[in-house]
Amino acid sequence: MTAGDRHDVIVVGAGLAGSLVAKHLGDRGRRVLVLEAGTRTLDTWPGHLDALNTYYAALAKVPNAPYRPNAAAPSPDVLDLEGLPSGGYRAHGYFLQDGPLPYASDYLRACGGTTLHWMGLVPRMHPDDFAVRADYGYGRDWPLGYADLEPHYRAAEHALGAAGDADEQREAIGLPFPPGYAYPMRAIPRSHLDRLLAARLDGVPLRETPDGPGTVLRVVTTPHARNGTPDPRHDHYRPAGATGLPNYGERCVGNASCVPICPVQAKYDARKTQAAWSHRVTLRARAVVNRVLVAGDGRVLGVEYQRYDDPAAPAHTTRTAEADVVVLAAHAVENARLLLLSGLANSSDQVGRNLMDHPTLLTWGLLNRPVGPFRGPGSTSGLECFRTGPARRARAPFRVEIANWGWSWPTGAPASDVARLLGIGAEPGAPRGAGLFGTALRETLGHEVGRQLCLQFAMEQDAESRNRVTLDPRHRDALGNPRPVLTYDLSEHVKRGIAAARAVSARLFALLGADDRTAYAPGPAAPGWYRFEGRDYVFQGAGHAAGTHVMGDSPATSVVDPWQRCWDHPNLYAVGCGSMPSVGTSNPSLTMAALALRSAEAVDRDLAELRRPLVVRQPGGSS
Amino acid sequence: MTAAAPLRAVLPEPPFRVPRDRADLQMFLQAALTLEHLTIPPYLTAMHTLRAGTNRPAFFVIRSVVLEEMLHMTLVANLLNAVGGRPLVAHSRFVSAYPARLPFSRDDVTVALRHFGVEALETFLAVERPAYVAEPPGHPSVREDDGWTSVGQFYRTIREGVLRLADRLGERELFRGDPARQVGPGDFYNSGGEVFPVTDLASALTALRVITEQGEGADRTVFDSDDRLFGEARQPAHYFRFEEILRQRSYGPHDTPATGPSGPALAVTWHDVHPIDPAARAADYPPGGEVRRAADRFDDVYALLLCVLERAFTGDPGALRRTVPTMLELRDLAGWLCRNPHPDPEKRARGLFASPTYEITDSRLARARSEPAG
Repeated sequence: MTAGDRHDVIVVGAGLAGSLVAKHLGDRGRRVLVLEAGTRTLDTWPGHLDALNTYYAALAKVPNAPYRPNAAAPSPDVLDLEGLPSGGYRAHGYFLQDGPLPYASDYLRACGGTTLHWMGLVPRMHPDDFAVRADYGYGRDWPLGYADLEPHYRAAEHALGAAGDADEQREAIGLPFPPGYAYPMRAIPRSHLDRLLAARLDGVPLRETPDGPGTVLRVVTTPHARNGTPDPRHDHYRPAGATGLPNYGERCVGNASCVPICPVQAKYDARKTQAAWSHRVTLRARAVVNRVLVAGDGRVLGVEYQRYDDPAAPAHTTRTAEADVVVLAAHAVENARLLLLSGLANSSDQVGRNLMDHPTLLTWGLLNRPVGPFRGPGSTSGLECFRTGPARRARAPFRVEIANWGWSWPTGAPASDVARLLGIGAEPGAPRGAGLFGTALRETLGHEVGRQLCLQFAMEQDAESRNRVTLDPRHRDALGNPRPVLTYDLSEHVKRGIAAARAVSARLFALLGADDRTAYAPGPAAPGWYRFEGRDYVFQGAGHAAGTHVMGDSPATSVVDPWQRCWDHPNLYAVGCGSMPSVGTSNPSLTMAALALRSAEAVDRDLAELRRPLVVRQPGGSS
Repeated sequence: MTAAAPLRAVLPEPPFRVPRDRADLQMFLQAALTLEHLTIPPYLTAMHTLRAGTNRPAFFVIRSVVLEEMLHMTLVANLLNAVGGRPLVAHSRFVSAYPARLPFSRDDVTVALRHFGVEALETFLAVERPAYVAEPPGHPSVREDDGWTSVGQFYRTIREGVLRLADRLGERELFRGDPARQVGPGDFYNSGGEVFPVTDLASALTALRVITEQGEGADRTVFDSDDRLFGEARQPAHYFRFEEILRQRSYGPHDTPATGPSGPALAVTWHDVHPIDPAARAADYPPGGEVRRAADRFDDVYALLLCVLERAFTGDPGALRRTVPTMLELRDLAGWLCRNPHPDPEKRARGLFASPTYEITDSRLARARSEPAG
């Protein structure tokens, strides 16, 4: 143990939640140690450029494509999953999987965390999303509501630099904002495709089934954590530039690679928050925390971590750091893994359970006119009218993202289109068919790729205790820590939501006059294939892991209290999406950030309480 | 082939005096706007001729300077608008032919469109050289001079003119331009510094300070004043940033113009470059060929960029965002051209590549002006 390695707070994980907590506490004079399992190569400009090069050269442009593998702190990759020819899947890589369906999402263990490859969409949750058990009879309820979180939503929107239109969000979705509220930046402009869809869909009534509940369609712009045009109503906001190179950084100009890497860092990532940390915050990278140390009374003393030098070499030293408060902010799966490894916080037996994601159904087709795909952020607008309402009782609600990048997600377009037109089949090694070349190839590509339309239906997944993270000591990573075992499935509620989404998609494509090319079949690229009520479906992971240290109002049934403080350990916090009892249909990072900022205030109060001077009174004396 | 001295474009210089009245000041500021733009095509050419993915420190240095020149252009336009002028941008007189003679300079400096290399960098140093000594015309120390000695002196003279006119006419009267024409931080964002509206003497002097101190350094140091003016990281001024590349060494925090750079080494691979013909003309490329089409398209898009800029500087600041797609297209076209061996067999044999030629004629501008806004 390093003598004197003592801090006010230890934060485990330098991703979005951890970076915000460290910033808040450092700004208030607390001495914070941040331990990050991954490297901080990407903090540097050459590191950023190296990631760009790696991405440009990658054959599969998946979310983790730009980021070099790290054997000491491995990350899951969407390429780890392989679909089998007649259904089912095989899991390779970091995760072990034993569920009926695969958990199909990844994350990134590096300084900056998964914000390095996130899309950067920051919609708020709907007020109805916080009480799905009480109001709609499924999943779990939050011990707090939208109103409790609202000020922290605003703080998070400021911290991340959100671009949005509050009036439109209020009017179209019913989200409450304080009067006169403006996002830091004006909404990111709609894509050509958004405008095209709005012209054909806005105001059109739609019923999922002939006798089902109806809704009215409306294309709504999505809030982004992405540099745009500052809104003067928001108190002199200035967009935050890139890290690693002085005074560099642009507004979004539509480089169209937000996932997996924004070349100009117009997209928010946690490095921007780290760049604003006070000197009281110390970051120690290549430090894998594998045990939280606890005293007999349940208070935690600090953490034990493994320091490695070369990510490729199986060599490390074990060290200890102490603090008055420990905050776990290592990602939903890693937080659960760490609590399970430490044998802590689990009197409710809920640690690792309730694993959720936003299972996503993709549908795709060709419009009858050019839509201008592969430009701008991955999605700039969506249909919000399926996010709540009475239909929620029967099926999972969903949010429809309008994809700006053609069929890239479902089919690997446009590279797959080029291969197909060149006569290269899906079977490697098969003889090449007759192909198109030169002008004919270019014209055909332009004609087809330019009309690609894709809709992404992100389902709310209900918390189920059977969906969980466990550990198997027989399978360990390079540092000797048991790897996570994921047990995952979709509930009937979610499957009915996906079926409804498929029906809605068919109606939308009909309204748009689009030629529906959606097809679901088992195969190597479809690990998420399943059959439901006689029809084939393939779902995708959204990278939105949640629920694994669920928040509640009772120590008997939940892991953390409404402040994300572990019920069993008064000075141990577990922050992040793992605390969410339900995830609604919004991309969860903004809600996670709001929760983290709220918890940072609680940590600060706890520390103040610990330092309150003791008043020594004379026995029997007055005042 | 004999090395005949190439014809050089000569930019009109305002007379060697302090601006006397509003019209005079507007003429000086238009000359400043033209001058700020003069540097952009040579800097871009050096940047675009770097082999993709190589010489990245040099690439980002040049890029950062270009962005700040764009900032300077915008600040000069704000100042010109503030004193009731009308910036002229979409005009062939605004775009110099290259090679050009560097105006406001005692030394005979040729500004040409050259590939990245020692020769280009030496020109850039001449353009950005700090003018520590030259006082405005009329000062006893320059009594012997009959013309401008440096760009810095020219800006110092504008500053003196602004001060005198504000004193004579009154601040409110001098800065009577329409505030709606001012480009603000909402309309523009780049790396170092920030665009701000010029509405009074204080903001006018700050704009001039940004322009000179980003170029040649503050208080005779190596560094600009971005830290003091904008709360950003301070950086070596343009002159010293270029010098870092040329000398392959960075400036450290304690270095001065006299010591030169003594910080970490900055690696440059001089051969990772696409050499070009500095006298290239689009007419050198065979009509109908892809190179010619790209070179013509480059000039067309550049003309469009200037038309949109002029609209932004003459009453519609929000139009600036429409320059973004044009700049991205210019970047792509320049990249294609500079990676394409010169179509002329003799030049190709000498290892030369094609390049954008920046021939922005009035007929091109007229065509661009008639393009639908968008």
